[in-house]
Amino acid sequence: MQNTRTEPREAPAHRPPSYWLPLLQLADSALPTGAFSHSFGLETFLERGLVRDEETFRIWLSHFIHTQLTHSDGLAIRLALEAGSAAELRELDALLTAQALPRQVREAGVKMGARMLQIASAILDSAEVEQYREDVAAGDCSGHPALAFALAGRSLQVPLPELVSTYLFSTATSLTQNAIRGIPIGQDAGQRVLRRIHPDIAAATVRIAGLDRSDFGATAPGLEIAQMRHERQRARMFMS
Amino acid sequence: MTEAQPAGPQLPTGELRLAVGRRGGRGVATSQYYQGALRVIRPHYLDASGQVAYTIVNPGGGYLGGDVYDVDIQVEEQARLLLTTQSATKIYRTPGAPAVQHTRIRLGPGASLEYLPDQIIAYRDATYRQQTVVELAADSSLVMCDVVTPGWSPDGGLFRYEEVRLRNEIHRDGRLLALDNLLIRPGDPASPLSGMLFLEDYSHLGSMLVVDPRVDDGLVQELRDLLAPLDPGGQLGLSLLNGPGFALRALSRSTGALNKTLFAAVDLLRHRWYRQQPLNLRKY
Repeated sequence: MQNTRTEPREAPAHRPPSYWLPLLQLADSALPTGAFSHSFGLETFLERGLVRDEETFRIWLSHFIHTQLTHSDGLAIRLALEAGSAAELRELDALLTAQALPRQVREAGVKMGARMLQIASAILDSAEVEQYREDVAAGDCSGHPALAFALAGRSLQVPLPELVSTYLFSTATSLTQNAIRGIPIGQDAGQRVLRRIHPDIAAATVRIAGLDRSDFGATAPGLEIAQMRHERQRARMFMS
Repeated sequence: MTEAQPAGPQLPTGELRLAVGRRGGRGVATSQYYQGALRVIRPHYLDASGQVAYTIVNPGGGYLGGDVYDVDIQVEEQARLLLTTQSATKIYRTPGAPAVQHTRIRLGPGASLEYLPDQIIAYRDATYRQQTVVELAADSSLVMCDVVTPGWSPDGGLFRYEEVRLRNEIHRDGRLLALDNLLIRPGDPASPLSGMLFLEDYSHLGSMLVVDPRVDDGLVQELRDLLAPLDPGGQLGLSLLNGPGFALRALSRSTGALNKTLFAAVDLLRHRWYRQQPLNLRKY
């Protein structure tokens, strides 16, 4: 190699983007948002024996990403980056709550939203995150992790594809950890599923960029029914 | 099919505006307007409760590409309306532009609406968008159902339509209470209809939204118990909304089976809240 220098250089190309490390932190699967206690209906499919191994879980996860996750959390993140006013952000919060018809999904959003806001507030200096926290504390907003994450990303100036795909992958990781415990499958099997889900995450990220507002909240009926029936399931490991 | 239109505002393919008020203890139309391919037939009273029943008719027999249907329903203070259709909503091929129906429903203080349309049948290559916005007063009451069938095609194949989209927005007392957005695109490989998150091997989807100050968790539990025997496959879900209301979703293999489930729920509510007998729509 030519021109190798012994001391570190302060060249911009060698530094990660300023959003990089905060984004990694917010997307970490150990982030204490309570995601480990929410299966978003997966547990009902476990109970019915429809999700029972690595392959059936991979199929479930792929469909979950392309239906509910794309049209609620994913689209919400994009719309939050595009929002021009605080009123639009409050409207997004209301939409996120209203589109979650199954009660446990709605309650998961509120719980995880509060945690995500607390964490984002602790690691960032963002006026928008603080405003959302105040709106939730005042009861003007319900709170939702996707919107808290989006506002953090907005402050950090994370580009849309990076922000959306990070959120989707982080959710996929949490659900995979839950599947590893719930099915159960091995840790290596979980990692194989996550690797195979990369193309789904990439495709969903592209699709989210092209969705229309009228697509918001579109979900899959079988998934919704499972999420509703989870309320009555006996011997649950998960809160949703 | 429509020909090239002259410049200027174009009338919807079918338009219906109906306002129902309470006069002398009974629901009566206080204003009514229709044009094009939508109308209502004479109202009737199914019992002595004062609830008026109207039937929407689509004289054209079905929706075509580019068709726009506009429905505006208002139920005034303390009035009660039962709204149904004469037959299934049929969507034929829609090359070029989807068939669209916009429905706006406003319910005044103490008003009630039961909106129980027949099933939706989308034919091969059809795209249908149904958008319904309901605005309720805090003490008004809404019961609304939809049944979506696998459609129809000449070769008997199921789900040959392009897209069916049913979007219900429910506002109560000025606040968005529920956004119920159903999007079925049979050709979308990313979320196949036969997948476990969509329809599995079922073919018909039933949906019900109820908003009423008398809805609580106890009622939701009671309905689950009532409907469980009608749902041997375990494909029925009920959940409390973010306020006094609930959503119900059910999968089945026939319109008849779904109607049995939905009407069992409707009948329980009618009896509980108004001491009315089970509904018999006597369609012919």
